[in-house]
Amino acid sequence: MHSDSIATNASNMPMASSNAKDFAKKKRMNRSAKLKQWKLDARREQWLSQVGIDTVKNKGRKEESTGRGIDGPLTQVGRRVRAMEKLEIRSRGEEENDGGSIHHDSDSKSPLNSPMSHTGSVLGGNDSGTNFTGSSSSSRSSSSSSSGGCCSGSMSEEDEDGEDGCLDDWEAVADALAATDEKQQLHANSLDTASEDKNVARFDSQPVSSIDISKAKPGAGASVDRTSVNCRAWRPDDAFRPQSLPNLSKQYSFPMNSDRHYACGASVWVCKNAASTPKPCPICYEDLDFTDSSFLPCSCGFRLCLFCHKRILEEDGRCPGCRKQYNYDPVEGEATLDGGSLIYRLTRSCSMITRS
Amino acid sequence: MQASRARLFKEYKEVQREKSADPDIQLVCDDSNIFKWTALIKGPSETPFEGGVFQLAFSVPEQYPLQPPQVRFLTKIFHPNVHFKTGEICLDILKNAWSPAWTLQSVCRAIIALMAHPEPDSPLNCDSGNLLRSGDIRGYQSMARMYTRLAAMPKKG
Repeated sequence: MHSDSIATNASNMPMASSNAKDFAKKKRMNRSAKLKQWKLDARREQWLSQVGIDTVKNKGRKEESTGRGIDGPLTQVGRRVRAMEKLEIRSRGEEENDGGSIHHDSDSKSPLNSPMSHTGSVLGGNDSGTNFTGSSSSSRSSSSSSSGGCCSGSMSEEDEDGEDGCLDDWEAVADALAATDEKQQLHANSLDTASEDKNVARFDSQPVSSIDISKAKPGAGASVDRTSVNCRAWRPDDAFRPQSLPNLSKQYSFPMNSDRHYACGASVWVCKNAASTPKPCPICYEDLDFTDSSFLPCSCGFRLCLFCHKRILEEDGRCPGCRKQYNYDPVEGEATLDGGSLIYRLTRSCSMITRS
Repeated sequence: MQASRARLFKEYKEVQREKSADPDIQLVCDDSNIFKWTALIKGPSETPFEGGVFQLAFSVPEQYPLQPPQVRFLTKIFHPNVHFKTGEICLDILKNAWSPAWTLQSVCRAIIALMAHPEPDSPLNCDSGNLLRSGDIRGYQSMARMYTRLAAMPKKG
């Protein structure tokens, strides 16, 4: 009876058969038809639920007949754009403008981004569409910063150069250096992106001052963008990464301190690019710089900054991690020792003996 | 001098940020002097000090963190490693086993651990140490509980 009712629901079965045999036969036939129907339905549901994630292409194909013919990678952008329209997120004209990879031009033109666009675009971000996500991000960030800062290349350059033009240059270097390192890290970030969605919405209204990322070098940014087409989300150093996306590492260290976001967003970006995980020295709590983080004075693996290491050598010379005496002295420690203790150290450390 | 101040300031911010991280420790800095701190610690459970709140006074040297802070109990406590009159604490990490990697917060944690695990072989409070060394656990516990009730608990009525 169960199957019967479903069959009527499917409404492609003539129920009027008086003959029992005939009925059974038809029922058998119908079962396969039903099965097909179910499969289709299930598929459709799955598909609908994943709109904007995986199967946007199918949708796009449907619409392609109505849409204009675009070719190459842009076609995908167009499709996705149209899929987004279906979700009633944005108006068509703007999106296509974005999709045309004129990121910086479109920046200034799309002031009306509903908060809805986050869910949509973040979902879209999972779909390997770096081009698209890039463009949407730039338009979004422009809207977010339209109150205070500004993201479009032309405007921000004049506004910002006076203040942190110096940051600009070495940030470019840092970007180039960190580009490879943070590729893997970004995969982790991309997983977080979805879950951080709410945060994105929250931070959206800020005129985040990490603008200089996007304006930093349109050329370099674009090339990065192109190379990472099969990446799933933005790299932290991506020029088109939406500024509204929270900086994850920063979030953990300053959970609720939104003032900081305003005040030193740019500098935090710089730090993050310079060293992907800036750790503080456990002694003085200052961030370890590049030299410090490659400095390993003790076999126990306890790291500290050179400054604190020097101070410890001046005192008792024991590693704070394992409390053992430091048994070899890097050059800068050596220089600070007076004659007596130097001799003492020389007798204890084999490496020094061979050197001297 | 400047380094110790900077470090203490960082520790202060850390304490402010993670106020609820360790519910057994309240660490507050003196309003006018960053080298003077006060801590309130809860007596660990399943010890005679359970239910008591003990006050500690920190005096941080200018060589901190290379030199350990000086800590003493302001609240009377009956414990073999705490001087009954002065509140001085006999704890290796406050003396020769100090490491600059420790913080005021971790010192508090170490003191809580010391309360739960007394070391009767290096006593500052000989009465308490002798009770434990002679195996009179019950006597030690009742004495310690009495002083906890007298000194470290809010007065009743």
